[in-house]
Amino acid sequence: MAIRDVKPTRSELIELKKKTKLAESGHKLLKMKRDGLILEFFELLNKAKNVRSELDDAYGVASEKIGFAKSVEGDVAIRSIAFALKDVPQIKLESKNIMGVVVPKIESSQVRKSLCERGYGILGTSSCLDEAVEAYETFVEKIIVAAEIETAIKKLLDDIEQTKRRVNALEFKVIPELSEAERFIELRLEEMERENTFRLKRIKA
Amino acid sequence: MMSWKRKQGSKSYAYLCARVRAMKSKLLQKESYPRLMNMELAEIARFIEDSEYKDEVDELARRYDGANLIEHALNQNLALTYRKLLNISAGESHHLLSEYLKRWDIWNIKTILRGKRYGASDSEILEAVVSAGRFGYHDLIELVRKDVPEIIEKLKRDYPLDGYSEDRMDYFENALDRFYYESLVELEAVRKPKTKSNRLFSEMVKTEIDVRNLKTLFRSAKAGLEREQIVDMLIPGGLKLNMVALIKLAGLPFDEFTASIKDYPYWDSISGTVTDENGSLTGVEIGLDKYCLEHASRSSHYYPLSIVPIMDYVVSKKNEVDNIRMIVRGREAGLSDDLIRSKLVL
Repeated sequence: MAIRDVKPTRSELIELKKKTKLAESGHKLLKMKRDGLILEFFELLNKAKNVRSELDDAYGVASEKIGFAKSVEGDVAIRSIAFALKDVPQIKLESKNIMGVVVPKIESSQVRKSLCERGYGILGTSSCLDEAVEAYETFVEKIIVAAEIETAIKKLLDDIEQTKRRVNALEFKVIPELSEAERFIELRLEEMERENTFRLKRIKA
Repeated sequence: MMSWKRKQGSKSYAYLCARVRAMKSKLLQKESYPRLMNMELAEIARFIEDSEYKDEVDELARRYDGANLIEHALNQNLALTYRKLLNISAGESHHLLSEYLKRWDIWNIKTILRGKRYGASDSEILEAVVSAGRFGYHDLIELVRKDVPEIIEKLKRDYPLDGYSEDRMDYFENALDRFYYESLVELEAVRKPKTKSNRLFSEMVKTEIDVRNLKTLFRSAKAGLEREQIVDMLIPGGLKLNMVALIKLAGLPFDEFTASIKDYPYWDSISGTVTDENGSLTGVEIGLDKYCLEHASRSSHYYPLSIVPIMDYVVSKKNEVDNIRMIVRGREAGLSDDLIRSKLVL
């Protein structure tokens, strides 16, 4: 807001005071939101670190188990048995609100199955296959948890950045400009007051 | 007439056993495995190429490489070896062998049905079949080209596939495996063995059934399945574990189950590998496989002109293929030498 565009009137001053008050309360609220989001972010970051390391571990175990199953049963057998698994895990996508930020909430079903629900017969297979399947079920579960947390982190980061920009804009641009305009009007009004007083004195004299 | 038949059978065994003895002498010796353990994949492929697997490695080298080449060569050689045995056998030996090797037909049927359910292409399914049973590769190609109702129509007379539904795949897979073992038990040579050699063959089959049932019980106990679910998967006709004993063992908690099988002769071969219900069962399964192999190998010397040495060869050949594959795939997966060595059945 350029100073020259400001009309030095009392109503404009009242309007500006209202705007400044609103901007200050908005600034305070946004600062609180930013701090809250940062706290939430660090909490999620710790979780994400744990989930990531669990995911890495689960991947290591799953790779070892499938490698072992391939050694015992053969790649051809594993390929054949893999044909039996047609059902893909079901994922239910919902959303939850963290301080105004909408983040996904992923619920999975049919990831972990019992021995009888996996689609392959027990008599013609061996336990190393069960162990590989279990390891991959754990791995898929970890992927889903990691996807939820990491997406939430990305969304929070975006929102923290946006809120930070708003706070800075209010703190360093909007509020100072409003204050300056307010000061300008006050000075101008005082000046006009003095001019009036002087004019009246001259008329009297 | 009877004496002619016996003579004919004995002649047939003399020829077949001589061929089998020659074939068995070409199997890898125990001393070869430590050497294989120290080789890289390319060296193993070269080693295999210098042995009985040369033709298969040469033929498949255009389509596969690395561990895949070795595994496909091993499978193809196994299939051709078993097919050769079926071709050179006659009479009783042929009948018993073909019934025993029907497990590969069951394997192939399961693979084809799984592949069809999954929507795999014909070539993908054909990559996963092993024509080591009565179905030759061309029979399997013909089968794979059909759709599921046609396959069921063709097979349902000989296999329990009536009412087949893709939603109950596991049930039909178990039914096919049960059917295989029940058919074996129904063979006269197994049910009422008249000769001492057939008695040994019968023992071998029944021991395998016991081992299969024990593996099922171990896995079920670990997974915490209910007795009703387990009973349907148990195979009658075992040597030491009859159905009454099996039903008693089914559904027991893992600790009680392991305590209950300590009186059976199989325990000695697995006692060192049984841990708690969270532990791996692969050691147990390998221990039980070793028991079967040792049983077949021990019996093979008693009656040199009978089905027993032939079955010993069948089991030993499969074991050789499994051992080489274990080393090759173990190397590829980066498994430790100790782990690979512990899983070899020597």
